[in-house]
This record gives sequence, C-alpha cells and structure tokens, in this order.
Amino acid sequence: MKDTPPLDGVVVIENAKGVAASYAGRMLALMGATVIKVELPGTGDPLRQAAPALHADLQADALFAYLNVNKSSVTLDLTQSEGQKLLKELLARATIFIDDTYPDIRHHQTLTPESICALFPKLIYVSVLPFGALGEHSQYRGYEINAFHSGGEGYLMPNGLALEMFPERPPVKIYGHFAEFNGGVSAVCATFAALMVHDEVGGQWVDISVQDANVAVGCFNLQQLGEGTLEHRHERSFKYGGVLECSDGFAENLTLEQHQWEGLVTLMGEPAWAMDEALKDPLERSRQGKKINDHLRAWAKTQKVQDLVEKGQALKIPFAKYAEPADIFASEQTQARHMFSDIDFPGLGKVAMLTAPLQFSLPSTLNSCPNTPGADNQRILGQWLQHKETDLQRWLTQGVV
Amino acid sequence: MKAFNPTKPLKGIRIADFTVHAAGPFSTHLMSMLGAECIKIESSKRLDVFRKPHPVYGRMTAASFAQVAANKKSIQINLKDPKGLELAKRVISISDVMCESFRPGVMERLGLGYEVLKKIKPDIVMLSISAQGQTGPERTYAGYAPLFGATGGVGTLTGYQDGPPVEVRHVMDHSSGFNAAMATLAALYRRKRTGVGAHVDVSAREVATSFIGQALFQYSATGESVHRQGNDMPPHAPNNVYPCLGLDKWVSISVASDKEWQNLAKKMGDEQLLTHAHFTHAASRWEHRHDMDLRIASWTRKHTREEVTALLQSVGVAAFPSYNAQDIADDSHMRQRGSVCDLSSSEGETRRVVGPPWLFSRTPASLDTWTPKMGEHNHYIFGELLGMSETEINQLIEQKVID
Repeated sequence: MKDTPPLDGVVVIENAKGVAASYAGRMLALMGATVIKVELPGTGDPLRQAAPALHADLQADALFAYLNVNKSSVTLDLTQSEGQKLLKELLARATIFIDDTYPDIRHHQTLTPESICALFPKLIYVSVLPFGALGEHSQYRGYEINAFHSGGEGYLMPNGLALEMFPERPPVKIYGHFAEFNGGVSAVCATFAALMVHDEVGGQWVDISVQDANVAVGCFNLQQLGEGTLEHRHERSFKYGGVLECSDGFAENLTLEQHQWEGLVTLMGEPAWAMDEALKDPLERSRQGKKINDHLRAWAKTQKVQDLVEKGQALKIPFAKYAEPADIFASEQTQARHMFSDIDFPGLGKVAMLTAPLQFSLPSTLNSCPNTPGADNQRILGQWLQHKETDLQRWLTQGVV
Repeated sequence: MKAFNPTKPLKGIRIADFTVHAAGPFSTHLMSMLGAECIKIESSKRLDVFRKPHPVYGRMTAASFAQVAANKKSIQINLKDPKGLELAKRVISISDVMCESFRPGVMERLGLGYEVLKKIKPDIVMLSISAQGQTGPERTYAGYAPLFGATGGVGTLTGYQDGPPVEVRHVMDHSSGFNAAMATLAALYRRKRTGVGAHVDVSAREVATSFIGQALFQYSATGESVHRQGNDMPPHAPNNVYPCLGLDKWVSISVASDKEWQNLAKKMGDEQLLTHAHFTHAASRWEHRHDMDLRIASWTRKHTREEVTALLQSVGVAAFPSYNAQDIADDSHMRQRGSVCDLSSSEGETRRVVGPPWLFSRTPASLDTWTPKMGEHNHYIFGELLGMSETEINQLIEQKVID
C-alpha cells in the first residue's frame, strides 16, 4: 500500500489543446490516474502539428511527447452532436474532467461547466484557461508569452548581465512554457483540493487561470509595490555577483549572508581590494556593488566553472553552474536521483525522459509515449463504452471519431 | 480565534510549518488558502531570513515575507533547547503535515527526521523542500532561486540568443513551492484513501529542470542541444513583445495559425503583409520573423498597449499588455476573481495582496488573516491546542524555550 500512487484507479478525461491543461494531465497521469486525452479527429491536438512546418526542429514533437506521456488518446469531433454525446458517456465514467475550451466555444459544444456539473454531480470539472472562465477577460485568447507578461514577470526579465549588455531590447521570456506549466501545476493543486472533499460535497467546478497562477508565483512584485517600490528590470539586478562568465562557461553566485561573502573573499585568495575594512559592512558592499562586480568578473574569467562550484560549495558559498542539457544528463546528482526514465519512442527506440520533479516513496514511472490521435478509440469507445463495431465505423465515416 | 471554515477543501488539516525563505513558506501559504490551519514555527534565535532585508538586492525592505506568512499562525520554539524539541514534537503530534526546508540532514541531527516523526504521528505527511533534494552527492549544496535555476537548466536556456544566461528569480522559488504544494496535496489525498503517510521530497533544482523537460527530451532523442532563443517559440510567429505608446510600455502578441495571422494583418491595416509571400504560411513567417517583428513594432508604436490588446482580442488574436505590479494591482478582472484582493489587519491597516489563484464552485479558497506578529499565537497553540497551563507557558517563555 506504501507504493500505491495517489490517483490509482481515478479516471481523468482531458480535453486539452493548450500547454497548461496538458501539463496538468501529465502530472495526474504520473501520479497514477488513467488519463484519456480527447483530440480532434484526423490532425489531433494542435500541438502535434507544430513540428512538420519546422522539420529541422523537433522541439514541438518533443513538447507533445513530454506533455502527453502515460495518456491514452481518443478522437472526437465535438462540433457534432454525436461527438458531444460520446464525450458525455466518457464523463459519466470519470471523476475528473480537464478542459481548456474557450467559454464561447464551450457554449456551442454544450460543454459549459454549469451544464456538465448539472448532468454529472459527482464530476470535478477543472477549467484551465489563460485568464480563467469568469471575469471580463475570460474570452481573451492567450499563449505562453501573453500569460507570462500578464503575470508580471515578463516585464521584469531579463536582469543582471543580460540587461547590462542589452538595455534597450524588449523584455525576454523564460525558456519554454514556464507560465503555462505553472498554470498546470495550479490546476493539479485545485484538483487534489476538490478530491479531498469529494466524498463530502460531491463534484464541483474549479476555475483555473494561468494568469492568476503566475501572479501568485510573482507575489513578491505586489508586496514590493505595497512597500513603495515598483519593481523594474532596470532596478532589480543583484548589486554584485549574479551571472559570472568563466573561462569555460557561466556560473551563478549569490552571497546573501555575511559568512558567504567572507567565504568568497577566501576563495578569491583575499585580494587587497576585497580586504577593504569598509566592505565588511553589507550596506557598503551594496553601495560599492559595481566596483565589486568589476573585480569579481575579472577574477571569474580566469576560473573554470566546475572548480568554482566545488571549491565554493566546500566553503558554503552559493555557486552553481549554468548547466546545459548534456550536463544535466551527466550529473551524478541527476543519476543518483533517478530523474529520468526510458520510454519507447516510435522510430527512435528507448529515449530518456524526465519524470516528475517530486518524489514520494518511489519515483514516478513512465509507461507509454503518446501514440497517433485516436490510437485508443477501439479500446475505449468500443470495449470500455461497449459500442458496436458498426457504430465505430459509421462515426469514422462521418468524422465523429 | 477563527474556527475552521467547514466549506474549505483542507478543513481539519493542520500544518506544522518549519520552512523559511520563499519556496517552503509559499507552499504552506497556498495550502492555508485552501483551508489548512498553518502554524509557522520560528525562533528569535533563528529568524526566517526573509523577514530581514538583504542589501545585495539593493533595497532595505523585507522580501516576500508579509505575503507568504499571511493566513498563518505564528509560534516561537527554540529548537536548540531540548525542551523546545519536545515542544516541537508535541505540535507535530497534533498536525497532519510537517513542512521543513532545512539543509538535508539537519532534521535528522535535530532528532526530527521522518522516522522519528512517524513514531510521533504514524500517518504524518512530511514535506522536505530543498535546493538539491534529500539524496545524492550534491544534497548539501547551498542554493537560492537563481542557483537552482542555473543547475536545473532553465536559467541556461533563458536569454537573448546572442547573450548570456539569465537569472530566474523569485518566480523560481515560488514555482518550487507550487510544485511542493501539489506533491503534498497528492500525499494527503493518498493518505485519505490508504491511511498511509509519506515523506515528500521536493528538490527546487528538479522543479527548475521540469520547465525544460521538452528540451531534454529533444536532446536525448536527437543529440541536438537547445540553446537560448530569446522570445522565439516555434512555430508561433509572430511571438514577441512590442513597444507601444508611452515610456517602457509593451504588448505581447502571439500567433499560432494562418487565420490568426490574417486577422492580425487586417487589424494592422497592412494589405501588403496579407499577401506578401514571406508571411502567408507559418513556416515562412517563422523564417522571416525578424522582418515581420519590425513591421509589427512600427504599428504598435503608434498605439497604446490597451488599444492593441482590445483590437486584436476582438478578432481572436492573443495579445496582452506587459503588466507591471501597478497594472496587476489595478486590474479589475483579477479583482473580480479575487486573485488580487485587499487584506485588512485587526488594527485597520489595509494592503493589496495576491489572493487564492483558484475559484471553486462549492468549497472556495480564501485569504483571511493578516501576517502574524512573531509568537502571536503562542497562547492559542500551546494553551488551547496542547492544553498547557498559563503558568507552564510563561515558565517556558522565561526559560527561553518559547522564544
């Protein structure tokens, strides 16, 4: 029982076209839920379509695979009433429904939370939208960059060295789908919260906004405003330290505590400039940040990243390497933590994929990589929902599945 | 004292919160908004570092303490005193969840490791949140957000194509906290189903890595390493931030389909763009994105970010202003949702804060109480919950056990 995954036996229907809702489905699948993804007949999830236009870049494929591991796929055309009916048959057997259809389209597809919750009082309907399902911006469309900037962090990036080098450029985003993954994590938190009271109150609908999730992770920003500071990327770089260019790559250094600064002085070999009595005072260091940085950066250029990390950490000075993908695979820490698991990928064989960034008593396991759209139609619509082969054929001809 | 709200998802769940800094306190802050009674345990001997200002940030106010400590109760226990340790165990014995963010190994040294806690409370859910995780050769490495952003790889891949990596700051801490809350909730739900507790191990560095999972999969599948790519997000084109009227005002625009592109070009009133062979299809738009960005920027410069947003959203094109903190504080949409709200203290002070990021139709989350003063709930927790007498409590205060 110790090894039972949290969502063992829980059925989730995921009607997702965007990253946030798909990421939520990924996490639920990794925690043991049976996740059935509903896709458009033919082309499937729009995220599948990303790669062919840019054949040299497999990233879109990689994103789809990462998001949809451990899920089954059925295809349903939800603009047709028979498609809607089949979806409702699936929902009748599910505990959780994740949906990221925009509210106006939900209305046309008879998928509004109110109507679905009335039909299935035990169902937990998790709506995941860029700006949520309620409020004046609920119809607004949004992708990663919009969500990221709506949450406040977009305006604050970059900082430190990158900003010094390119002060006039537009803000730069965090790599990938940072805002949308956070939206997905927020949705999973709410899903578990609703499950905690499921026996008592039954189903309900939960309205997740990717913007809200990102305003929450950026809460520092609002607190600073209350303290009288409007955070700005040109004002918030560390006074010294930060990104350091070394002889063979980049390192990060941050000395918040007095003992860390003292360790850094030792590591640098106690150079005369750093022995200045005045620099023992953290406020004075803050004031002389530029001077410290000039020295620190010149010194760092003569150092190797790994040396700094190992010698620095031995002195309890926070130093880290800016790790490239290859470094992450090679790291002993990564290997000791079993962060990756091999899955069979069509045409590529066994490929290592990151599991989940959390561990209970056992690491999560990866069982299956995403298949073609509707790969599980026969098993789920036929065997599980017990529809006849002739019906499946008819729906196929009509484009319902 | 406010009783549990019977309609909250985590009603009846109590958290003994030993976390400090940002990630851990944010995770318990989230669970407190879901209705858990969260007891923050501190000592004047070992203050939460985030109560204090850090000159390296160049400002003299505390970081995010007021927000993430709100909705919690505060008690003081000196863990260096054996009697303090006993007291901590008593608090844990009446809790469902114990959260800590010490360096790996410290809890065991203190005598509060998972194996000990299980004896005190067999089905306890213990959350350990750390920079590197509880195991592995680098488990004791020190780390703050920009450091685990670097080691985890997300900082390496963030930045302009021709520039250095970029520090991912507080949002990295809080994302780790969000993941930690998710994992703790999962463990609590499993406990509800099976009666079995868990030790949940969340490594902030691994959370950072989870944000680049697709790049790592690509590398492992093809051997091709992704590099920094600015605001590019293939196959979206355009996908960037554009200058608008006003000082440092920007709007984000992202286009995923040809239909969205046509709507954008129509709203820009640029007939040439609509028919230009470079821009008609996603692949060629991607190829000529820098040229396209210049054309879009010359249009957005003549408008406010609100005008651009309204115009493009009216035809289903994803556009939104680049919000600063003031924009967030003033946003009526989020005020309607309660994700930004006003919080008042019993002394009449009011502050605009981040509210719960979720809406529940039947069991609403909420942010109810102001940031506690240190030790504000000593008498309630030690007296009412643990049944200690006033004399006993006062004695422990004198002995600096409650301190």
